[in-house]
Amino acid sequence: MLAADFEVGRRDFTVRMEIRVEPGERLAVLGPSGAGKTTFLEAVAGLVPITAGEIWLDRRRLSSGRHPGSDIPVGRRGVGLLRQNPGLFPHLTVLDNIRYPPGATAETAFATASRMGLGTLLQARPKGLSGGEAQRVALCRTLQSEVRLLCLDEPFSSLDRPLGLELLELVRQELQDSGTAALLVTHQLQEAQAFADRVAVLDRGSLLQIGDPRELVLRPKTAVVAQLVGYRGWLRRRDQVMAIHPDRVRPAGSADESGALSGRVVGMKPEGARIDVELESVGDWLGRFHCFFDEPPQLGSRRRFQVDAAPIFPGPGPALD
Amino acid sequence: MTVAPAPPAPRLAGVRATTSLSLLGALIVWAALLGPLIALLVHLSPGSVVSSLRQPGALQPLVVSVLASLVALGAILLLGTPLAYLLARGRLPFTRLWEIGVILPLLTPPLVIGLLLIFMVGPATPIGAALSHLNLTASDTFFALVLAEVYEAVPYYVLGAEAAFAAVEPDLEQAAALLGDGRWRTWRQVTLPLAAPGLAMALAVTWARAMGAFGAVLIIAYHPFGLPMQIWTTLQESGLSSALPFALVLLVVALPVPVGAYIWSSRARRRF
Repeated sequence: MLAADFEVGRRDFTVRMEIRVEPGERLAVLGPSGAGKTTFLEAVAGLVPITAGEIWLDRRRLSSGRHPGSDIPVGRRGVGLLRQNPGLFPHLTVLDNIRYPPGATAETAFATASRMGLGTLLQARPKGLSGGEAQRVALCRTLQSEVRLLCLDEPFSSLDRPLGLELLELVRQELQDSGTAALLVTHQLQEAQAFADRVAVLDRGSLLQIGDPRELVLRPKTAVVAQLVGYRGWLRRRDQVMAIHPDRVRPAGSADESGALSGRVVGMKPEGARIDVELESVGDWLGRFHCFFDEPPQLGSRRRFQVDAAPIFPGPGPALD
Repeated sequence: MTVAPAPPAPRLAGVRATTSLSLLGALIVWAALLGPLIALLVHLSPGSVVSSLRQPGALQPLVVSVLASLVALGAILLLGTPLAYLLARGRLPFTRLWEIGVILPLLTPPLVIGLLLIFMVGPATPIGAALSHLNLTASDTFFALVLAEVYEAVPYYVLGAEAAFAAVEPDLEQAAALLGDGRWRTWRQVTLPLAAPGLAMALAVTWARAMGAFGAVLIIAYHPFGLPMQIWTTLQESGLSSALPFALVLLVVALPVPVGAYIWSSRARRRF
């Protein structure tokens, strides 16, 4: 079990984390760029010293803000780290890369590699691999070292979306089979939801909310969290803001006058098989929101909408949209 | 539909002319650089080489030069490698100051280095006195020859090795550490093999500089005779034609190492 309660000072702000990851649990840390996600992972992996608090993994104290001299060095902490740069050793073959960690044997390296579909590439050099292959090799290699907690720092974000999600699923399977805990850092809700049992939302170094991936979308605690989990409509009334998620608003039937919200169509663009329609609200709550339509509505037309329990926050809400 | 062939655009013709001119220029420079070597081969007859080298003791300077250069190279490797690595990784405070120290012997004329070495380690100096306790004298001895060669050659190695280490991505060293490597294993398994082609080139150049060291050697190590001194004195005493065979020997001994290292290193680089 990972028990982390620590601070890391950065130039711009201090990253404060208080988080627990149960054995075998997968936790995603969701946040915008520059939120301190990577700093958090690097502190857990031992690449940056913490300035206060402690990090424990399975009854071993990995880091301490008060006694930094007793920190367990990088690579002995039982923490693996996969990053966007796979960091394969260019002078070694794929097989030699995979069995690089001290204590790794050729047999286990071979077994892991064939399980991940790398069987035919074992004698290749990293130079000739595609991005997806290189990341799979890096994953195999990390799993050869004794990893109790695997940290993933947006490792697949440079790959195209379907391939990234496919590799994430491969990691999830692998972790599930071995019962290894994992921390995934990402700025994409879709990745966090596909991978994790729980999602923590981080912004400017502070933990804003942590919980079940669906719960987070249904009941965001602050406007910042709402924005990060996909709320794109912000309607203001006096000093309050109502957040509208495009998946949680539907056009009301033509005869149905009970719709809570009324809006005028001001723009639209296709998204997948549906139309993402931008609307200007008419009524008490002022602002713009989005709703998905199956057919393009008439520009300027007025419609009524059903909204599922939209959260209301104090303050003006995010400046965007 | 057929398209009439377009006349070559004037811009393209200009590009072609520039390319041809650059090629010609490159050829001239290349020929000029090889010129001295060609001149040497033209002016030497195999008979004169054999007769010069058959004289008693003629090969002794070669042995002295090779031995002294090997010792100098060993010392440079041992002392220069950690310095080059620390410089490349920016782990030394006041990096610029350290670099200036490394470049200084490169910028100082070798003759001046020789003079200054006398003031630094000559028998009358404190360092000279300390050396004499170790039965070493830095004047007209094998030790002095090695010392002069080290001063003339060390910047070439440190600067080359620094560039070689700097070209190794720090991310790879970090990846090795994350996989459980200690510093030494990371250095041996990752840093060194990846820097090896660059290190080989640096060593090769250093070898050639050490073998050919003359200015500082002339001042502090006239004896024991190395090859460059042999060439110089033969030229003074018996003229150009007697000196040329020794020049050939120096080239034959000094050149294959750099050329071999160059070929190996460019092959190795292509692999990663």
